[in-house]
Amino acid sequence: MTADGPPDVVVDFFANIMPFTELDHATLHRMARHVKVDFFPKGTRLFHAGKTKISHLLFIQQGGVKSFIVDDEGEVTLKDYRGEGDYIGALGIIRGTKASLDVETVEDTFCFLLPQAVFLDLINTQPGFSQYYLKSFSEKFVGTAYAELRRHKMTRRGDENLYLFSIQVGDIVKKTLRKTSAESTIQQAAQEMAQHRVGSLLIHRPDLPDEIIGIITDRDLSTKVLAPGLDYNEPVRHIMSSPVATVLSQSTCFDVLLKMMSSSIHHLAVERRGKIIGVITSHDITLIQGISPYSLFKEIGKQQKISGLYPLSQKIPAMIRNLIKEGAKPGNISRMISILNDHILEHLLTLLEEEMGPPPVPYCWLLMGSEGRREQTFKTDQDNAILYADPKNEQQGKDAQEYFACFARQAIDHLVQCGYPLCPGEIMAVNPKWCQPLSVWKGYFARWVGTPDPQEILHATIFFDFRAGFGKSVLADQLRQHLSKLTERQELYLLHLANQCLAGRAPLSFFKNFIVEKNGEHKNKLDIKHQGITPFVNFARILALKNNVRETNTLARLHVLSRENILDETLWAKAVNAYEMQMQLRIIHQLHQIEAGQQPDNHITPDELSELDKRMLRNAFEVIDRLHGVLKTMFPTP
Amino acid sequence: MPSFLNSLRRILSLTPPHPVLLKNKEQFLDFQQGAPLNDYTFVVCDTELTGLNKRKDEIISIGAVRIVNLQIDCNQTFHRYIRPTNIHPNQATLIHRITPEELKKADRAEQVLPEFITFCDNSLLVGHFVGLDMYFLNKTCRQILGGSLSNPGIDTMRLAQRYKDSGHQDHYGHHDHAASYTLDNLTKEFGLPVFKPHDALEDALQTAYLFLYLLKKFKTGGIHSLKDLYRAGRIRG
Repeated sequence: MTADGPPDVVVDFFANIMPFTELDHATLHRMARHVKVDFFPKGTRLFHAGKTKISHLLFIQQGGVKSFIVDDEGEVTLKDYRGEGDYIGALGIIRGTKASLDVETVEDTFCFLLPQAVFLDLINTQPGFSQYYLKSFSEKFVGTAYAELRRHKMTRRGDENLYLFSIQVGDIVKKTLRKTSAESTIQQAAQEMAQHRVGSLLIHRPDLPDEIIGIITDRDLSTKVLAPGLDYNEPVRHIMSSPVATVLSQSTCFDVLLKMMSSSIHHLAVERRGKIIGVITSHDITLIQGISPYSLFKEIGKQQKISGLYPLSQKIPAMIRNLIKEGAKPGNISRMISILNDHILEHLLTLLEEEMGPPPVPYCWLLMGSEGRREQTFKTDQDNAILYADPKNEQQGKDAQEYFACFARQAIDHLVQCGYPLCPGEIMAVNPKWCQPLSVWKGYFARWVGTPDPQEILHATIFFDFRAGFGKSVLADQLRQHLSKLTERQELYLLHLANQCLAGRAPLSFFKNFIVEKNGEHKNKLDIKHQGITPFVNFARILALKNNVRETNTLARLHVLSRENILDETLWAKAVNAYEMQMQLRIIHQLHQIEAGQQPDNHITPDELSELDKRMLRNAFEVIDRLHGVLKTMFPTP
Repeated sequence: MPSFLNSLRRILSLTPPHPVLLKNKEQFLDFQQGAPLNDYTFVVCDTELTGLNKRKDEIISIGAVRIVNLQIDCNQTFHRYIRPTNIHPNQATLIHRITPEELKKADRAEQVLPEFITFCDNSLLVGHFVGLDMYFLNKTCRQILGGSLSNPGIDTMRLAQRYKDSGHQDHYGHHDHAASYTLDNLTKEFGLPVFKPHDALEDALQTAYLFLYLLKKFKTGGIHSLKDLYRAGRIRG
């Protein structure tokens, strides 16, 4: 058959999406030949959960799909939206299982179809590929793994950076192997598991303690014993899984995770020289993934002197680069930056308190603006304040004033040394106006809400995104409650916020003539923060305040608003995509600047963008118009 | 001049048609229209011309993609320039961004057309205002190969008219406005991905997207077999 090569549009599309960007030209061309183009009208069911055998990996060229689950009662739970440049079906292909979710187009959708065999071949031959797809599957684990690490303050030997792709499973498997005889009763086995706090137990032949013939897990106890009401005195061999799935001790953690995913077995026995040496679980492995950021986290906690913290925040960019490479979403990245910044702050203030002695009254260190919303990137001006409990008498009031003024001055200095620049607007705890007792803070908000002056409210917006950074968070909660009550009675200030938001127009003509700055240093550049991202932040803030949503993070606010049916589901999905896409562009832009030794900024040159980026950015800007439409309906101008 | 004599003989049907045409004809001897659409393959094509004068002008490039199982197959594309008998830097070549130099290096129609006919195989020919493409293809075929193509044609412009008339759309447009049936306008109106215009392969791809869009939209409207489709968009081959 005559073949004059795949169309440019297909090659270009793949050349611009991860992880295909890594392929060399010849491989990309060879792969693109196998691609088919298909069109699915809006409302086409692409996958039926548990039924559809996935023959192709689908890439959305234009349009969008939603994935959802329908339970036995017909209840529909929405899981995710995917848009242009996203893929569908990778997990099913890698695992060789049927579709795990229902997928339906929500718009007229054009897809590029990559046959299963071609995709699997790439997974097997291109090292970057398996990492990329594995990473995106385990992403949701990663997010929670960090939170857990933080809560439990787990300790781990050695400070070295361990990586999922180089560590052998034999090195991390728990040293003591827990096992019991096949003739033990179920109850004995359960007691053993409880006593040693393990989630699984290996089963050996009654006569040969070294011959492992099966395994039981927590799950077996609930599904095979509790649920059917099995007698606890039955021998454990009746409920064990046999034979045991094993991996070799020299396998890398990556291979093991892949095996777990493909087999849906989360407890694997580890074998060394023909002998079972222990059990590895998916949880053990997700902990490994967190090691690199975790080691930084631990290093922060280890410092005995405040000056020891100074160099540590500089290490964040390198760590973030790894996360980006591995395909982490911008939402996760800025959350990670926030966790680390919070940890530095927490540790710094703890040490400072030790130096200065305890405060006269309880206080809470407030974070505002992007810090308050947990949306920091690399360039994080300080936006902070001190909120302290109302003093009981005049003397205590004077003491508090003195103590916190001194405390704030030192804290701000240390933070500058750590690499967090001063706030140009002087919204910092060192400013006496923003270092006040609760009653004064309540008064501030009462004035902003009750008798709003448009100019003043404009400057006050970042205060509405406050959250507790350190200290007694109950004080911040009280202030938040106060604000909710004020808003219930008086919504006028929201109208001012809405008008302010509507005054900025979406930079839609960016792509025709580019709305870019005409003069000055940033000539011909797009300010992606103010023109692109801020409209989403403002929109989410207004709706959150109006509907008493207490979250401060933009994505979290939007999520709650959609769950409560205040925001249309489709629009929510579009907004999330648009917002994340821009955050991603911004983070990558700033990372490049940092690595080039420049100060990170928000000014993107259109020439830096690929065609795909431009198209996605254009779509993102279109969403701003739709959000403005929602605001206009909600706050009609008389 | 022997080649001139050959052409003359062919025009007067003194020599039998080129073998590739005979095979082409054979493939459609017992052509059935009743099968479901998935069973057919389609070649969506676009030709670029030196101009629109039916007597004087010539084809200078052909682009085509095949649709199998109602999906565009990226491994089955066709893109060739053709050296016209008269090369002069005229308007059309400028529009198509093909330079006279490129045309001088290109193969002649005698070489390219049989390849294209082989590529077409037993597929149906699809084009936007396909009558024009087929007029010039058949004119050239008759001159140099002694016969014309047997592949039935489907016109996406007619399909689009039919689609809009049948009220599939949920908004009111200017249905009868002639300009709104150009490939560019339909692409915009239906919100399809946009390709580089005036490149035969990209235009063929653009048309293929329109064709897929219409086919699948029609399917929900009860068009399942080729016969159904013919009522909507057939042209005389």
